[in-house]
Amino acid sequence: MSIILEQLLNGLTIGSFYALIALGYSMVYGVMKLINFAHGDLFALGSYLGYTLLVWSAGAVSQRFGLWGGMAAALLFAFFAVGCVGVLMERVAYRPVQKSGRLPLVVSALGVSIFLENLIMAVWGPRYQAYPASVVPTYTISLGWFHITSMQLFILILSFVLMLILYYVVQKTTFGAAIRATALDKEMATMLGIDVGKITLFIFFLGPALGGMAGVMNGMYYRQISFVMGWNYGLKAFTATILGGIGNIPAAMLGGLLLGLVEMFGAAYISSAWKDVFTFLILILILIFRPTGLIGEKVAEKV
Amino acid sequence: MNKRHKRSQLILGMVIALFLAFPFFSNFYWIDVAFFFGVYALLGLSLNIVLGETGLFDLGHAAFYAIGAYITAILNTLYGIPIVWLIPLSALCAGIFAYIVTSPIIHLRGDYLCIVTIGIGEIVRLALINNPFGLTGGPNGITGIGRPSFGLFAIDTSIRFYFYVWIILAIVILGLVRLQRSRIGRAWNYLREDEIAAEMSGIDVRHFKLLSFVLGAALAGVAGNIYASKLMIVSPDTFTFMESSMLFCIVMLGGLGSIPGSILGAGIITVFPEIFRVVANYRMLFFGGALVLAMIFRPGGLWPRKREIAIPNVRSAEETEERVRPVAVDQTRTTARQSVNGEASSFEKHILVTDMLTMKFGGLIAVKDLDLVVGHGKITSIIGPNGAGKTTVFNVVTGIYKPVSGKVYFEGKDITGFKPHKVASLGIARTFQNIRLFPGLTCVENVMAGLHHRMSSYVFSSIMRTESQILEEKWAIETAMYWLDKTGLAGLSDELAKNLPYGKQKLLELARALSSSPKLLILDEPSSGLNDKETEDLMIFLENLLDEMDLSILLIEHDMNLVMGISHWVVAMDMGIKIAEGRPQDIYNNSRVIEAYLGREE
Repeated sequence: MSIILEQLLNGLTIGSFYALIALGYSMVYGVMKLINFAHGDLFALGSYLGYTLLVWSAGAVSQRFGLWGGMAAALLFAFFAVGCVGVLMERVAYRPVQKSGRLPLVVSALGVSIFLENLIMAVWGPRYQAYPASVVPTYTISLGWFHITSMQLFILILSFVLMLILYYVVQKTTFGAAIRATALDKEMATMLGIDVGKITLFIFFLGPALGGMAGVMNGMYYRQISFVMGWNYGLKAFTATILGGIGNIPAAMLGGLLLGLVEMFGAAYISSAWKDVFTFLILILILIFRPTGLIGEKVAEKV
Repeated sequence: MNKRHKRSQLILGMVIALFLAFPFFSNFYWIDVAFFFGVYALLGLSLNIVLGETGLFDLGHAAFYAIGAYITAILNTLYGIPIVWLIPLSALCAGIFAYIVTSPIIHLRGDYLCIVTIGIGEIVRLALINNPFGLTGGPNGITGIGRPSFGLFAIDTSIRFYFYVWIILAIVILGLVRLQRSRIGRAWNYLREDEIAAEMSGIDVRHFKLLSFVLGAALAGVAGNIYASKLMIVSPDTFTFMESSMLFCIVMLGGLGSIPGSILGAGIITVFPEIFRVVANYRMLFFGGALVLAMIFRPGGLWPRKREIAIPNVRSAEETEERVRPVAVDQTRTTARQSVNGEASSFEKHILVTDMLTMKFGGLIAVKDLDLVVGHGKITSIIGPNGAGKTTVFNVVTGIYKPVSGKVYFEGKDITGFKPHKVASLGIARTFQNIRLFPGLTCVENVMAGLHHRMSSYVFSSIMRTESQILEEKWAIETAMYWLDKTGLAGLSDELAKNLPYGKQKLLELARALSSSPKLLILDEPSSGLNDKETEDLMIFLENLLDEMDLSILLIEHDMNLVMGISHWVVAMDMGIKIAEGRPQDIYNNSRVIEAYLGREE
């Protein structure tokens, strides 16, 4: 029983990383119909920025604000910095290409991805970096047979709070309605007086920002970060996006959590070497039998 | 023309001379770079078939490359089969693999297909790492692969490998150029430009998409074989998503569907990092940035394909007409038609009949229990307010939608649920409410789409340029020119369809539909966007067609002058049901029709 519960917790923790990253894919896909291949690298960038703030300041941040304060600072720093990089990316690499169609946009995204990955390598070096134990809180909370690390609890709470806020904003506010309208039909939204430029700016800030934050959380959870991690997480999170239904924000959250669970239980009860193969098989099967994802809606093509 | 031809031959000769001389003025390092340039050119060309020609987003192409390399490695190391024999086998295995894995997903569109191919690429790579049945050697791969040899002549030095790959490449290029300018290449391009229009012109979408994947994969398999025999080792880290993205970039950098473009792209991808070796740590950084810049400034690629088609020597007008006239006019039928003219009730032969046809979208009933009869040799019009379900009827008849219930009979044959390309090949051609052309192709190529299902040349005959293939191509071009001429677009044959003004685009669509010699022509609002003069010309044109060809016409139209002027029979629809039908003047005065258009009188 406790093992299953532990797997569940681990699955949900990884799932929340996937969900936070998946949100960025889904939001960007909504407004630009682009699979933002650079998004995974933004996540990695966030991880490195949080690391830099905590470590290069020689622990000064953590000493001044305490462990939790330092962590909050790292999360906020990654949030804003990666958000700004996201906006910059849209301005420099996507907006000028957008009018040329979707294929050039894909190549541009691949270009940004290669650029970011190698930028991280150039700045921080090709080797693994580690979040030192001294900057990360490491208590374990035990309730009888049930154990949860403070970090896990923190990650779960924070990601759920973030997702709830986002869910509320997107589904219940006027601004959220404008985002959804833009995702459905950009031209029509423009004609109805929605400032699509503003929405795009918001999306390209928030999506990467959440990804960057997930990067810091991931770094604190696993402690080890590498410049190539973006691709792997990006791909998984992207799978999660499809699993839920691309372009749909609550679906991305659901897909992320679900994928985390599938992976954990797959690794535990089927085979850890083949778990990624299962992940991709699920992805392919979903696209064959339910191409709109679990909670996406089917769109008929107009002839 | 001739001068240009001479000049391009001269340039080609110089390029070949340069390639022959290159290894003798260079060192082994650069000869190896040139070897990999060749391998990536093969890979780029192989992906170009899928992505460039057919427009299928394949971001997992490294999987097929991997299959070729691993088949070569396994069969050579385990059974000692010579590398050269394994070239066709690698191609075959990669092709079969592509057929198996893409069959269930080939219907997916755009991004969805892209995602699935990424998944396939990753699954193949992970499977290779996991060493199934102890065959792939796990993460370390397979070592000790042999060298290719022809008798006693072994390909074992850098220079020999260089010539080996570039000679194979030259043969491949020759084959691909021929394929590109054949029925097959055009079919792929039609799919890329507009899938639905292609399908309605008689192209078997599934078949040609699979063909493009299979051929692309087979070629990647050949590249895998060459790569494995050069390195003598294969391992999973070669066949990553990064590799697939690089191939994607090769095709996009060069220009979609451009053979020289893909080769240029391969050159950039292989040579660029070598030039920037001095800044080793930053070279991929520059490369990423360069990709973005390339897409900003040259989104169409650095060497896009110029579309031109060799027009055969012009014949005299009558001679051409004789050769290409699709169906000889049946004089007896024409007189029969004239004798029943005006007697709409005495239709003896119905070309199209629908029986209780019903179509629903979700809870919305678009068409309900429709019985529609289109008389042979007649013009039948469907009228009705917007949203009456008129276009839905067309989409069901032409096979784009499958009806919920009811039947469609064409010439007495039940065609309910037939795929659009099948419907088209039986002799139904249509135009669309919102023009659906192949925008990036020339006018003559657009019209040739209609001829696709009447032609038969396939991969082998296209590559070998058999006599029958050459004759067929000639016939197709002449027939297409005939229809361009007939619709008044004669001078525009080499113009891209997207550059035409609206009215001419409509005519081009009509020419494409007519070129297939349809028995039934379905026109969806043919006069929309045309001025009065153009509408009148269209009416005369359609009436003349009926006299000249064995043709029946079904049209949707809002222009009452046109409807009342040329129709033999009019069907009025509202809210998915038929509310009236009869001769034009009867419908014109029918109270239910007036009510449907203008509302009930108080």
